[in-house]
Amino acid sequence: MKSTLGAGRPGFLWAAPAAVFFGLFAIVPLLMVAVLSFASWDGLSDPEFAGLDNWKKLLDDPVMIKSLWLSVLLTLLGVVVQTPLSILLGVWAAGHQRNRAVLSAIYFVPMLLSIAAVSVLWRAVLDPNFGVPAQATWLFGDGNLFGMQSSAIGVLVFVSTWQFTPLHTLIYQGAARAVPQVLYQAAQIDGAGTVRQFFHITLPQLRNSIITSMILMVVGGLTTFDTVLILTQGGPGSDTTISAYYMYQKAFKSFDYGAASAIALLLVLVSTLISLIVVRLSGYDKMRSTMEGL
Amino acid sequence: MKQRARFPRTAVVGGAALAMVLSLSACGGGSDAADGGDTIRVLVYGDATNKVEKELVATFNKTSKVKVVLDTIPGADYQAKLQTIISSKQAPDVFFNWGGGSIKPFVDAGLLLPLDPFIAKEPDLKAKFLPSVFNSAVIDGTSYGVPMRGTQPVLLFNNGKVLKKAGVKPPKTWDDLLAAVKALKADGVTPIALGGGDRWPTLMWFEYLYDRVAGPELFQKALDGDQDAWGSPDSRKALGKIRELVDAGAFGTNYDSVKFTDQGSPTLLATGKAAFELMGSWEYSTQQDAHPEFAETDLGYSAFPSVEGGKGDPANIVGNTNNFYSVLKKTKHPQAVAEFLKLMYSDQFVKAQLGIGNLPTTTNTEGFLDTAASPDFAKFQYDLVKAAPTFQLSWDQAYPQSAATTMHQSLQQFFNGSMDEDAFVAAMQALPTS
Repeated sequence: MKSTLGAGRPGFLWAAPAAVFFGLFAIVPLLMVAVLSFASWDGLSDPEFAGLDNWKKLLDDPVMIKSLWLSVLLTLLGVVVQTPLSILLGVWAAGHQRNRAVLSAIYFVPMLLSIAAVSVLWRAVLDPNFGVPAQATWLFGDGNLFGMQSSAIGVLVFVSTWQFTPLHTLIYQGAARAVPQVLYQAAQIDGAGTVRQFFHITLPQLRNSIITSMILMVVGGLTTFDTVLILTQGGPGSDTTISAYYMYQKAFKSFDYGAASAIALLLVLVSTLISLIVVRLSGYDKMRSTMEGL
Repeated sequence: MKQRARFPRTAVVGGAALAMVLSLSACGGGSDAADGGDTIRVLVYGDATNKVEKELVATFNKTSKVKVVLDTIPGADYQAKLQTIISSKQAPDVFFNWGGGSIKPFVDAGLLLPLDPFIAKEPDLKAKFLPSVFNSAVIDGTSYGVPMRGTQPVLLFNNGKVLKKAGVKPPKTWDDLLAAVKALKADGVTPIALGGGDRWPTLMWFEYLYDRVAGPELFQKALDGDQDAWGSPDSRKALGKIRELVDAGAFGTNYDSVKFTDQGSPTLLATGKAAFELMGSWEYSTQQDAHPEFAETDLGYSAFPSVEGGKGDPANIVGNTNNFYSVLKKTKHPQAVAEFLKLMYSDQFVKAQLGIGNLPTTTNTEGFLDTAASPDFAKFQYDLVKAAPTFQLSWDQAYPQSAATTMHQSLQQFFNGSMDEDAFVAAMQALPTS
């Protein structure tokens, strides 16, 4: 390779395919949506410039405000439930025992199924008359899981957890295996038990992985769509209508593409803001190594 | 102040679609090759009835120089996909729709061909159909559609065995219904199965009670933009009846977790866990498919009960009046299209529809009812539809599509008690009407 390319750093050409792809399929549509959010368009006649109409309506729309809170709530619940679960599973699965390898493989199965299939499956399992709730009335009462906000949200969180915990478990498994054994050996000599080792060695060593996994959860949570579409359709009423689903309703049920674009853009802004906050708070941007001093 | 600005359409279309990460790809198969040739493209909702449509197309193509090509869009996304292609180059010449609000936006956008000139030339194009059905596709006094499938009135279905055990008869009046609810509850069954999770089954109770209590005029007023209609005493009286029924425990408590579309509520009826279900006439074929024995022996049906002191005629019905063929203005072969539409009241059409369990709404249907898949059921429906002074098109199809989601949400919330009467009235008043 010629030295004109710089000190071993690839030139722009190397990034071009990915950059063009990203530009064409992410940046350009984003700009279009931004433009469309200032227009009134039903998909039939030509879009008409509507100024700030869509935005004004959106900010006055109680369902929109509610949908943002619901998105945040679902995301938070997802993080709170999945993180401890996947850390424990991941660290446990990091052991090289054979039974752990076999069980980890089984735990990974939900990840291989499509979200739609999983949602349809759980909808059937949780049917009030012909599913599990009908057999376990001591736990589910009348089985009206999809008819009340609290239980409908519970179902959504549960199904997402069931589906996505394996992914995060995988992240933690890899990270836990990368923790240098010398740390545990030293701790053992100092007389630290398993629990102390976990809290003083494993957890701190997983710091960067926790942040990675949490960002994935936040992004995934804010853009959740399939599970809501299949499990609750935003119901009862608008009680599980999260922003992404509300955008879908506006665009493909009401054919109000202007309003839908405004929601889409708002969602992009909110997600970016939340990602920035997570990155700042966690110090992820500084990428402090967990290997210092080793 | 509103300024007008034009955006590059195709780019915007592509952009919006991509950004929302949903495939908008229209019906499969390249339709570009056939453009401009001597063909008419007919777009229909893809399901079991396509069998009849294919037969008719074959009949038409035998004699016509201009050939019909049938395209189908399967599944529930028909309306969304139609909306996307109808103003594009791939737009069909003739397309399936539900009349009313489902074509209103296309009429407003000037895309549809008024059929009145066709009718002037060939009066049978209107005279051969039951008027209460034909009127669903008349918009602002102009005809835009010809009925092309079967009618689907909403009926009160029942499980005869369960009724017998509880000593209950299909209700003729509202008080009968309330008494039946009480008796059935005492007998330990859910009086009425309801797929509240789908929301549109809940709507049917509103449609009938508003009709019986206030007459069809109230809804028409509301649809025409009269803000006072929803807040009127009659409207509140109808809502009171709904509250009364729900609070009496007629639907049990978990109806919002039950769906019709996943066979939930039909199975409740068929297995005797519930006694009644208010549903479109397709309940019959649904039960025949899923529970053939029950459909054969115990599945009963009756018209919706009357309400004492109500203004609506007890013979009124609600539901899907029919499906319609509408024609795009830009079609190159209006004459051939008119010829094709004439097949929609032919004997062949009627026999084929009856044969697969649909009930056509042409005046010559009566003569063929004995050939129907289920003659008794077909006759019952036909008499009902023919005698009905008004046939109210489902509210969510009569209103513009932009209203449907909010309408469904509000109905569900009032029904399950999470929204009070005043809030419901306000929500309905806020719906877009045109």
